[in-house]
Amino acid sequence: MAEPQLRLKNVHKRFGKLEVLKGVDLDVDKGEVICILGPSGSGKSTLLRCVNLLAPPEEGEIFLEGQDICKGPGSGTGESSWNLDFVRQRVGMVFQQFNLFPHKTALENVTLAPVTVLGKSKSEAEEKGRALLERVGLGNRLGQYPETLSGGQQQRVAIARALAMEPHVMLFDEVTSALDPELVKEVLDTMRELAEEGMTMLVVTHEIGFAREVGDQVVFMDGGVVVEQGDPKSVLDNPREERTQKFLGLVLER
Amino acid sequence: MSSKTRLAAFLAVLLVGAVSIVVAGCGGGGSSSSNTTASESEEGTEAAGGAGEEEAGGEEEAATAEKLTVGSDIPYPPFEQGKKGSYTGFDVELMGAIGKEIGREPEFIDSSFETIFRDVAQEKFEAVMSAATITPEREEVVTFSLPYYLSEQAILVKEGSEITGLSDLKGKTVAAQQGTTGLELAKEKAEAGELRPYPEGPDADNALKAGVVEAVIIDAPVAKQQAEELGGIEIVEKVPTEETYGIAVAKSNTELIEQINEGLKKTIEDGSYTKVYEKWFKEAPPLEGLETAMKEAESK
Amino acid sequence: MKVFFEQYFDFHIMGEHFGEVLEAFFQNLLIFLVAAIIALIWGLVLAVIRQTPGKGLLPLRFLTIAYIDVLRAIPLLIIILIISGGVPFITFIPKDIRIPEWFGKSDPFWYGVAGLVFVYGAYMAEVYRAGIEAVPKGQMEAARSLGMSHLQAMRHIIIPQAVTKIPAPMLNELISLLKDTTLVSVIAFGESTLVSREILAERLNSSALILTAFFFLVICLPGARLVDILIKRNQAKITRGAHIEVA
Repeated sequence: MAEPQLRLKNVHKRFGKLEVLKGVDLDVDKGEVICILGPSGSGKSTLLRCVNLLAPPEEGEIFLEGQDICKGPGSGTGESSWNLDFVRQRVGMVFQQFNLFPHKTALENVTLAPVTVLGKSKSEAEEKGRALLERVGLGNRLGQYPETLSGGQQQRVAIARALAMEPHVMLFDEVTSALDPELVKEVLDTMRELAEEGMTMLVVTHEIGFAREVGDQVVFMDGGVVVEQGDPKSVLDNPREERTQKFLGLVLER
Repeated sequence: MSSKTRLAAFLAVLLVGAVSIVVAGCGGGGSSSSNTTASESEEGTEAAGGAGEEEAGGEEEAATAEKLTVGSDIPYPPFEQGKKGSYTGFDVELMGAIGKEIGREPEFIDSSFETIFRDVAQEKFEAVMSAATITPEREEVVTFSLPYYLSEQAILVKEGSEITGLSDLKGKTVAAQQGTTGLELAKEKAEAGELRPYPEGPDADNALKAGVVEAVIIDAPVAKQQAEELGGIEIVEKVPTEETYGIAVAKSNTELIEQINEGLKKTIEDGSYTKVYEKWFKEAPPLEGLETAMKEAESK
Repeated sequence: MKVFFEQYFDFHIMGEHFGEVLEAFFQNLLIFLVAAIIALIWGLVLAVIRQTPGKGLLPLRFLTIAYIDVLRAIPLLIIILIISGGVPFITFIPKDIRIPEWFGKSDPFWYGVAGLVFVYGAYMAEVYRAGIEAVPKGQMEAARSLGMSHLQAMRHIIIPQAVTKIPAPMLNELISLLKDTTLVSVIAFGESTLVSREILAERLNSSALILTAFFFLVICLPGARLVDILIKRNQAKITRGAHIEVA
């Protein structure tokens, strides 16, 4: 098998005195969709933030396409900055709170980073941006400001925005948890299309259905470690670990 | 910086500051008693501080220990200078001498010159002794005593300056003190490029020394004193303005002004005027010129 | 009582000196404009430096915090006097900078501007800081994960949002700045307070000062009202809950 696109080895992360990640190992192949489940406080979001160096780990290694990204300034070792750029330009993230830029239109949200970070020309970025927004079904809302869009629409803009940077890996941090139920589907559909096009995705979610249908692997985390992982059918229908069973029992009972 | 370190640092600074204030206060001597004139008098002045018992029975002879409050813009050396409790200067000591003659001990109060005439008119203090030139505008508001000093203005410049006199001031930056006749003169005659009125005389002299202004117009004796003390500045021209200084009192206080005039004359007669004058100006007083001026003033 | 009115409300004197005082008041406005613009920029610079991360910048951040604390703790009047009393004597600075005479304005003007900028820059930096901290943290996270550097994120995302949150406190600072231009009178700058005091000494009457107060009132009172309106409007915006901000 080829090298995994993303490999986490013994990743530890502390916030002050509290250790949130206590040694996480994970391999992600190109094109795989990994769905991460677990109770709150299990470290799922923190894990994502380690991968894109928003919260670099204190211990452990993360290999992205063969490069150890923890040896850059994000990890505090003080070397040259190319690793931070390397990561951020290959890894895109979509947040639970959308975090769209309220003072910019939908199109401007999407074109800002390509222009300022990648140095693309405005017209080039706009062309690409328009295409992306159409792809997520918002081609007619280019000039609208986030506050005039519904939650689902905002989240789709956020996805388009992250895609504009042509990432190799996409991180999704509970992106539907803040949405009204009727808006969840449109976002999940967009994510499904993205998966079918072959994007490597790490998805932290509570949407079990999505994990079952779209996920290639399901990872269950609790207390800062990976408790169980495997293909969706085995983990979700026949969980081996007691903690997994408990969690799923709780979730599925809803 | 953690918030703990910051708090510690802040408290340390506060503590040091508080301690130094306390130490300075104690060291400075708590005896800021009355602003008695530090005249050469060892003769126990009758009105020793605080012994104000007598009723209005006694006249000039007896010690009516009531102090004579005198407003003055301090410092303005060599007329008035020093710290509270130990003011000295020509005005201070002359007033002390006059006070002795009329049986009242002067108490000097530091005031701002620009409001000093209005203040005495409203009886904030009883008299003004502050190198104050007698002018018609001022006479509308207060009554002046007979002249006690003949004055003129001087032009101060930095040593080595090209300015040689009033005529050279055209277009230059000239400083003077707010509310003074020096400022008036500057406005009328100097044709300055820029006129800077400073709150205190010494501020103007400092500005001159710093090179911020090119000339200062100020009373001649003050100019002389500042030139000596500060160094690096010199007088280039004295502009005779026929100014005389007087002591001012409120218009309603006719009794006091007569007393002061009498007292002034006595000090000239018994030589105490000359003594004070020579001490502060290091030359003999122009008694003739002064007497002429006094006679002129009396005949008005 | 009559004396009170004569002392303060002598309209003849006000009339005679009206033009003089008004012209001097324009000097206050001029100092205000120059100092305000520079201070607004300087304050922003300070605020940005203060919170730019990175181990290497620690000494710079420390200096900035110290500057902000110290300059807010020393009275403006003392700063102005220190500048004008000392700078002319520091001979290793070239004379053109030491005793400035730029754009037709001489040294007291520029010392005054300097003092105002140093002090108000510090206050404004804190206002900016409050605005920056009011921007949701997710904005910075999103910008950074898109690959923007800290400074890029500040420039395009954070600062534009921060400044929409601070018009009220910033306007307060500006009103305060306008009033404090009167302090420059102590270094003999011909602004309205100085001129009024000269008139006071000349005419032995305070009416010119009342006139000056009136000029300030005309500008600052509406300004203060405007601040109140802005604050009210901001409150309404918050309670309306425009944005989806789920905790």
